Amino acid sequence: MKKISVIRRVLIFLICVMCLFPFLILLILSLNTPQRNFYEGNMFIPDFYFLNYAEGWEKSHIGRAMINSGIITILAVLLIVLLGAMAGYAVARYANKFNKMVFGIMLCCMMVPGIINTVPLYTLMIRINAVNTLWGMACVCAALALPQSVFIFSGFIRALPRDMEEAAVLDGCSYFQSFLKIVMPVLKPTISAVVVLNGFGIWNNYAQAVFFLQDTEKHNVPQALSVYFQQFAGAKWNLLAATAVIAIVPVVAAFLIFQKHLMRGLTEGALKG
Amino acid sequence: MKNKIGLHTFMAVPAFALYAVFFIYPLVRGIGMSLTDWDGIGTAKFVGLKNFMDFFQDPRALSDIRTTVLFAIGSTLLLNMVGLAYACLMNKPFRGRSLAIVCVYMPAIISPLIMGYIWYLILQPGRGFLFHLVDNMGHPEWFGNWMGTYGTTLIVLILVNVWQYAGMTMVVYLAGLQGISKELYDAAEIDGAGGRQCFRYITMPLLKPSIRINIVTNIIGSLSVFDIVMSLTGGGPGYQTETLSIYIMRMCYGSKTGYSTAVAMIMFIIVLIPVAVSLKLMKKGDAE
Repeated sequence: MKKISVIRRVLIFLICVMCLFPFLILLILSLNTPQRNFYEGNMFIPDFYFLNYAEGWEKSHIGRAMINSGIITILAVLLIVLLGAMAGYAVARYANKFNKMVFGIMLCCMMVPGIINTVPLYTLMIRINAVNTLWGMACVCAALALPQSVFIFSGFIRALPRDMEEAAVLDGCSYFQSFLKIVMPVLKPTISAVVVLNGFGIWNNYAQAVFFLQDTEKHNVPQALSVYFQQFAGAKWNLLAATAVIAIVPVVAAFLIFQKHLMRGLTEGALKG
Repeated sequence: MKNKIGLHTFMAVPAFALYAVFFIYPLVRGIGMSLTDWDGIGTAKFVGLKNFMDFFQDPRALSDIRTTVLFAIGSTLLLNMVGLAYACLMNKPFRGRSLAIVCVYMPAIISPLIMGYIWYLILQPGRGFLFHLVDNMGHPEWFGNWMGTYGTTLIVLILVNVWQYAGMTMVVYLAGLQGISKELYDAAEIDGAGGRQCFRYITMPLLKPSIRINIVTNIIGSLSVFDIVMSLTGGGPGYQTETLSIYIMRMCYGSKTGYSTAVAMIMFIIVLIPVAVSLKLMKKGDAE
């Protein structure tokens, strides 16, 4: 490892502190008693009052929201990976008119933010009974993420040699089998990149959830939290903070587990773009 | 290859079907809807361009455009400057580098809505954690009522957004920097180029793909900002920091479905212009 200058080291340390300090304050707030007064004692030493977590968990229904968010994320990510890889494969390997058109349309629509079509989509969702359903929300999230996923998959499949697939077909595999058994395994790193690239955003989705998950039973994590926060109108900060901690713990844990994939996915996705 | 027009050549169909139903159809439908006075329940009546005219006569809508555009300009510029600075700082290998990257990236994975609430607990005038901190130090006047005026509220929104997503731009810039061969810098050094010249004539031109992807994603992302404004200011004071996407949502909830799709079409154009211009400008730069 090379040495870097002390100034640089201090700067980097300060940046890291700046990025983490709101989480520290949140943790302190979440451990204070409801009666805590900031004018007494040291602000940075909380009361270690863990009951906040129990009460916040119960009253905010954050557990149910996490299950909902989890189901939506898994369904949407499955759709994104499976349909994205299939379309990416078709686009990369068979340059017929239809595939070219699909790719062209998706590339153009990649620039369109989701909020633009949310209102007409809402009326469509009502008509097909998809409002307040987890599958409906998953389809919306998957559709929003599909163009980028098709783009990334087609880029990687183009770079793969065709020999293996052709050999498999000559040996009697069908084209679908050769896709599933030869191409998909090779795509593993790309798949994990696509998963982490989209997973967090879908778990955290709020702009679409406001429209499509209005039923309390179907709220996802951001929505459950926003309802909970609005109910208390900023009165019980210890509970608000504790609930926020509960809400971000799974995300942070997933991030720490998958961060290697995430970094690679981001850099690969970025360079291909 | 044999059997060229087999079923397998149409493996893009499922993806396209999903995309057509949940994205393209509503997008096209929205154009028609924006020309009606539909309230979401009753029958729609064709009103021509009335919704668009109404939009440009509503002071709240015009203020929303201003807020959205100012927010996007501030965020895009700052995000790229800060992200690039972070990336340059962390480009050379050192012990704890990956830990530092994880720390800087951490805020970006958390829901901007929750992040907005967290900052609200910290920054709220007169009650937040920071206020108590400066108050305990005996200087409550250091912490003014930033939520009282438009300018300061907008600046706080931009800063929180930059704080949250600087890690994302940084990672893209880091990837770009890693792709630049070290020999180029060595050669330039032999030729007598200083650090600043190296940055200007080697780093910047070779970083263009990263700059492009960052600028385009930041423009799209910050023009459609929703969560963080909802949780941090709720659009306040009054409707001053309301953004276009929040306006669309509120108009839709207010049973002005036709009107809100018209606003969405206007927003579409507002997003498209800067994206097209920046893509064009960068292309031009490539050719030189």
